[in-house]
Amino acid sequence: MEEPNSCFFNPAILDSLSEDSLHEIIGSYNGFCDATQSLLTGNGDLSVGPDFVSHVHALCKHRLHSLVQDHFLRVLEETFERNGASRFWRHFDPYSHVAGLNKNDDLDIDEDEIQNVLYNALEEVTLEKQYQEKCLLMLVHGLQSYQDQMLEDKHDFEGERNYLTSKYQWIVSSVLMATLPRHFPVILHWYFKRKLEELSTIMDEEFCDDASQNKDGMDLDEKGKVCNKVGEMDVDECYNDHRFSENSRLVKNIGKVVLDLRNLGFTSMAEDAYASAIFLLLKAKVNDVAGDDYRSSVLQSIKSWIQAVPLQFLHALLVYLGDVVSYESTSSGLKSPLAPQPSSCCPGINTPSEGLVRWKLRLEYFAYETLQDLRIAKLFEIIVDYPESSPAIEDLKLCLEYTGQHSKLVESFISALRYRLLTAGASTNDILHQYVSTIKALRTIDPAGVFLEAVGEPIRDYLRGRRDTIKCIVTMLTDGTGGNSSSSGNPGDSLLEELNRDEEIQENAGVDDDFNSDDRQAWTNAMRWQPDPVEADPLKGSRNQRKVDILGMIVGIIGSKDQLVHEYRTMLAEKLLNKSDYDIDSEIRTLELLKIHFGESSLQKCEIMLNDLIGSKRTNSIIKATINQLPQTSTEVGDSAISMDVISATIISSNFWPPIQDEPLNLPEPVDQLLSDYAKRFSEIKTPRKLQWKKSLGTIKLELQFQDREMQFTVAPVHACIIMKFQDQPSWTAKDLAAAIGIPADALNRRINFWISKGIITESQGENSSDHVYTIVENMAETSKNGASAGTQELLGGDEEEDRSVASVENQLLKEMTVYEKFIMGMLTNFGSMALDRIHNTLKMFCIADPPYDKSLQQLQSFLSGLVSEEKLELRDGMYFLKK
Amino acid sequence: MATNTIHGNNESAQPNNIASSKQPLPPAKTVDSQSVLRRLQSELMALMMSGDSGISAFPEEDNIFFWKGTITGSKDTVFEGTEYKLSLSFPNDYPFKPPKVKFETTCFHPNVDVHGNICLDILQDKWSSAYDVRTILISIQSLLGEPNISSPLNPQAAQLWSNQEEYRKMVEKLYKSGN
Repeated sequence: MEEPNSCFFNPAILDSLSEDSLHEIIGSYNGFCDATQSLLTGNGDLSVGPDFVSHVHALCKHRLHSLVQDHFLRVLEETFERNGASRFWRHFDPYSHVAGLNKNDDLDIDEDEIQNVLYNALEEVTLEKQYQEKCLLMLVHGLQSYQDQMLEDKHDFEGERNYLTSKYQWIVSSVLMATLPRHFPVILHWYFKRKLEELSTIMDEEFCDDASQNKDGMDLDEKGKVCNKVGEMDVDECYNDHRFSENSRLVKNIGKVVLDLRNLGFTSMAEDAYASAIFLLLKAKVNDVAGDDYRSSVLQSIKSWIQAVPLQFLHALLVYLGDVVSYESTSSGLKSPLAPQPSSCCPGINTPSEGLVRWKLRLEYFAYETLQDLRIAKLFEIIVDYPESSPAIEDLKLCLEYTGQHSKLVESFISALRYRLLTAGASTNDILHQYVSTIKALRTIDPAGVFLEAVGEPIRDYLRGRRDTIKCIVTMLTDGTGGNSSSSGNPGDSLLEELNRDEEIQENAGVDDDFNSDDRQAWTNAMRWQPDPVEADPLKGSRNQRKVDILGMIVGIIGSKDQLVHEYRTMLAEKLLNKSDYDIDSEIRTLELLKIHFGESSLQKCEIMLNDLIGSKRTNSIIKATINQLPQTSTEVGDSAISMDVISATIISSNFWPPIQDEPLNLPEPVDQLLSDYAKRFSEIKTPRKLQWKKSLGTIKLELQFQDREMQFTVAPVHACIIMKFQDQPSWTAKDLAAAIGIPADALNRRINFWISKGIITESQGENSSDHVYTIVENMAETSKNGASAGTQELLGGDEEEDRSVASVENQLLKEMTVYEKFIMGMLTNFGSMALDRIHNTLKMFCIADPPYDKSLQQLQSFLSGLVSEEKLELRDGMYFLKK
Repeated sequence: MATNTIHGNNESAQPNNIASSKQPLPPAKTVDSQSVLRRLQSELMALMMSGDSGISAFPEEDNIFFWKGTITGSKDTVFEGTEYKLSLSFPNDYPFKPPKVKFETTCFHPNVDVHGNICLDILQDKWSSAYDVRTILISIQSLLGEPNISSPLNPQAAQLWSNQEEYRKMVEKLYKSGN
């Protein structure tokens, strides 16, 4: 355009103007201004048109095009500001209070009213705008016709019109934007939300109807429709189907609003408003569908829903707005690399429009993210429910593959663990159970175990701080078949299964360090190689070392398999010693499984223990057989003699058993006699070996006969000894009884409680106040009021710690540590101060006790810091001193 | 009332299993460094576990034949509150010969000379292989409180012994200057 040239002030032209032409210019300019004024403010009255055009011509003659245009546009702007914008906003004034409200709040306004207000306002402002556009066109016509007359160089009429229209458009939106009240976006948002909800209810009904049909069929059906609509440009034709009649009306309404808003320059605001409304809806939908149910997979239904509701809507909207056309031609070229195969959206037929694909990706990503956040927040519960909750885990896996926000999972889950699991209130068994479930669940999400590593770390650290961890693990590992882990639920089964499963795996896969692993195996492994996930910590070695192996991770808690084996040995010993028969099939099976996993050599001692049991059974029967052949000399002693048949011994090779707790005990004469007879027989058969009885161990089945009743018990020897003493003498003082049995008085007090609780013995104050008198209760009727009627079969009484036959691993460890402590004290006394290294080396060199010093530097350090905190040692500048 | 059915556990040392590891040892020689080592190690273990107060000893860095010892003066003697370092050096034919024991800290005592040499019968002619580090240390500890005045290595100390108060002062003075 050349008009801009005339804007420059050119005095020569001014000089050339004659008086007449000046008059003419002033006259026509005034006329033009009046005409403009009356045209724009006149209510649709276009009668001043010809007059206006002639003034334009007159001014144009003097090359004052730009003056004409500028003035006209300025007046247009003023008028629009006065008539259009301010009136438009006035419609929304009653809702100004909503500006401060949150977008998610429900507005306390009449829905229809605000809807109508919006419609009316839009209509009015659109009318106003259309009128003004008409006036603008008139100006353009005026300019056009003048140029036609002058037959000057050809002006681009189209260009000029476009220029003016776009200028006008710009004016309109800038005026509106400049006067935008804060509550308008909220109202828009609210409106779209409302409408979409309405729409989704309608669609949902359809969706539900469809869902009952074959799902795939429905998808195709829906997609087919989408494609139809894309293919045929006429929107209305697509909506022939009666199912869409209702929502097409809605979409049209919405579309009209969007279109109007676009015309007013609110394109981005409108888009923001309906986008946020869609996302809100989607979020609500995901929350609604996913909820707290982890037993079914929801991802697919959410995806179908996205396809069915928001995408349908968006498609209809885009079609209505005519955007589809512009996108369609370029869609194949512009396809986002993120887009899945086009067929996934619209199989076989036309590719959907680019806009729609983008929306689909956005919505799906948002859905994945929302679902993922939802699941991650509840991951703890989900894992508690594992394996019932595995569909939810699968969902989460897919979401994470899409969003890649694994670190979010790790962080959130770790903090959940810290708050909910790793507290003093949680039992070690529960923690371990959860740990195993976590391993299993996360193995699904992340087969390489990268995140498991991160998540497992706090649990492992915590468990290392618990004293009963090893015991629980061993119980879990071995008690699966025993079925006597009543308190802990069934975590034991899972680990024993794992042990079994592992056996198979190892048979199939071969062990890494096994030299026999053949080339073919190596090749298969190589073929299966996948790179680590990007999140993997490169410092932690490759995934070969991080193979997700539940047993390995459990053993990892303990630190070394030796400790686990040690604990297992202790528990096995306890179990074997408490057996009343020689049935060890389940133990043999467990041991075989453990041997596969931990190696033959480390479990050698356990094997010897089991062999002892087998040997005992044989020896026992041999001894009994030989005794029965001999003349029964012992029967001459009288009724106090007991037949050898009633005794069965467990003969152990004590070197291979854990330390056995033994208390001295005076057995009743006939029993003692019987035991020494048995021992004699043993040494005859097995010369040069001799039998040493551990008299305080074992179980005794007792039958007590009273005046009015008979009772049966299975008790520890000490209990039997106590009660047998009452055979000779109905009441004993505590001191005498303790002396007779050969145990300390306080131990007797503890033990005799068993009989007191059964109502068989009563305790009373003796003449000497420090001494108690125990009396047997012969007649239950006398004391029935105390209600202690014992069952016929009772398990071993007394508290657990007391009745253990094998020193626990903790106690053994404590013992080891006291040895080390004494050595450390000894060396520090003589050398004054020593550094950690030197203490470590000195212990290694000189502490060759049983078991030898085998701790790591770290273990020693923590032990030493324990001593420092007990104020036995001091640590200054890396040197340890004795605390004086 | 009757008792019945005993199911006991017992233990038998199964000699086969243990013997197999012990039998192959060569017959003990008079000087067998291996057995000396084992003897010293078990003495160390016994000493550490005994928990006797006021006596202690421990092998130096990497040589189990040289020990450092520590003795504190017994209560109610003039040596109360003092602590003496000793060095113990074991011969290769220990325990058939006694170890050489010396005071490293200056000790003002009738039976200890200025170089720390100790005159104690069990460390010389009365030595028996039944003694061990622990008994040696206990003997030396008790020697502090009950010196043998008749054959002194330190005549000045022997003379002063009768005056316990003066002796105590002397001990304290030397102990302080010694440290």
